[in-house]
Amino acid sequence: MRAEGWMVWVVAAATAVMIARNPFYTVVVMLAARVVGLVCTRSDAPFSLSLWRIGGLILALSTLFNMAMVHVGEIVLFRLPSDWLWIGGPYTVEAGVFGLGNGLVLLTLLVIFTTLNTAVSTGELVRLTPRALRDLGVVILIALTYLPETMGQLRRIREAQAIRGHRVRGLRDWQPILIPLLIGGLERAMGVAEAMVARGYGATADSRQPLSVQLLLLVGLLAVFAGWALSFWAGWLGWVLLGAGVVLITALLWRLGRRVPHTHYRPQAWTKWDTGMMVTAVFPLILILINRDNLAYSPYPALNWPGFDPFIGMSLLFLLFPALARRERV
Amino acid sequence: MRRAVTAVIYLITALIGVAAFAYPFILPGLAGANADAHAADAPVLTVILLLAGLAVLLVEVQGQAVSAKVVAALGVLAAVTAVLRFIEVFFPVPGGFSPIFAPIILAGYVFGPRFGFLLGTMALLASALVTGMVGPWLPYQMFTAGWVGLTAGWLPHPRSQRLQIVLLAAFGVVWGLLFGAIMNLYFWPFVTDGSATSWQPGAGWRDGLSRYAAFYLLTSLVWDIGRAGGNAIFIAALGAPTVRALTRFRDRFQFQQA
Repeated sequence: MRAEGWMVWVVAAATAVMIARNPFYTVVVMLAARVVGLVCTRSDAPFSLSLWRIGGLILALSTLFNMAMVHVGEIVLFRLPSDWLWIGGPYTVEAGVFGLGNGLVLLTLLVIFTTLNTAVSTGELVRLTPRALRDLGVVILIALTYLPETMGQLRRIREAQAIRGHRVRGLRDWQPILIPLLIGGLERAMGVAEAMVARGYGATADSRQPLSVQLLLLVGLLAVFAGWALSFWAGWLGWVLLGAGVVLITALLWRLGRRVPHTHYRPQAWTKWDTGMMVTAVFPLILILINRDNLAYSPYPALNWPGFDPFIGMSLLFLLFPALARRERV
Repeated sequence: MRRAVTAVIYLITALIGVAAFAYPFILPGLAGANADAHAADAPVLTVILLLAGLAVLLVEVQGQAVSAKVVAALGVLAAVTAVLRFIEVFFPVPGGFSPIFAPIILAGYVFGPRFGFLLGTMALLASALVTGMVGPWLPYQMFTAGWVGLTAGWLPHPRSQRLQIVLLAAFGVVWGLLFGAIMNLYFWPFVTDGSATSWQPGAGWRDGLSRYAAFYLLTSLVWDIGRAGGNAIFIAALGAPTVRALTRFRDRFQFQQA
């Protein structure tokens, strides 16, 4: 599936989790994202983190931190002397539950993005760079292309130095390894630059954008900033202003990109699966946005059971779509 | 005119960066009752804000700094930095030490603030792509690492090389601590709840700051001391020859523009 569909999926899932703030929905999204991640892992995926260990750490830390910082609630586990700065006072179950909920949100974000990283290839992600930022896209491509090369270079230098009887004992012993690596890399950069100039890089494209575009970018940025600040006071007005600014900036980037002619090598076709992925990802998010006011869960002042609307819970299962689509096609 | 617009864009993006990192302290005091309802949206909106700022700033810097040599040098240096990040991921050193800051600081110092900013953002992006660390934290990391490279370019260049290295090592210590303090802020709104029911209602920025200080001391200071010390040792051990090599190449890279 194309990277655009994945981006929509990731943004929808992450936004849903951050806005709902309810442990039940969070767990549903986390499990769905994990299943998708396990099913859709591509063969050349980078190594992945040990989610269990990190997850345990995140949950434990956020629970303990909230208990140590917040001393509100009815079910008291134990007390520390109240004259201890910050951490003194009663330790309550409610505070622990709240901290656990926060930890779940953080962990779910981690799971969602781990899924993105294992399912979408690096090249696909780079292709999403706005064309207006083409030079920086080239920077990233050079970096990614030269990365394995640099790793090999590192190994070769180490071997060459080892043959000369060099051994790495302290930090200073890295000097004869890292400095040749750096100099070799910069030498290669000169070569790359010459090759780029020889092929006409930067010969025709005027990389300075017109003054009008520059001014409009500034206006868009100011709108986003003002909208962001305003949203703290007058909710919807800020959202509108922020949205307008984002649309303006996106349109300008698109226009700047149009000035750069380019070709695609074997573009991946947009299929019905991509459409399906977008629709199924956005649907639960819209449900959550509509019902947002009665979703959030707070264990204060007294511990209670989080609300769970089965309809919304089921709709979150739509996030499993990429896993199904993958099954269908393999 | 063009120059003035550029200056304003730099200023606004710097403000956006500061605001994005500092809003958890300012927000509860200012917005009062509204802050409760808003607590859940704020992180989403802030990531959008940071992305917009980053995009505009990158378009702006790219328009000024670009030439084939700069592009190639940035790409290769970002690759070298990403390799150092692999070393960090595969052979974890205790504490938050990460060898990626030393090259960003040194390159920013030698090649100037603009190059330092671009290298900081590009190196973080490239290494996140290859180590599978793309996430909502990435815009924050790119911004902060960009600042590391940018401010390194502002450092004075004393004549004595020993003094240079001492200066750079001290700079590494400062940013090692600051990077942790700034990066914690991205998940701070998740760890705090921002609702009036928990802590003292109407808590102002002073209270938020003191709570953040407690959080920092409890969770991340030890980690950050590891990073700060690692930066200093790394720069002290390898800084001098690196600066020499980079300086030699700076003259070659600037051949065209001079």
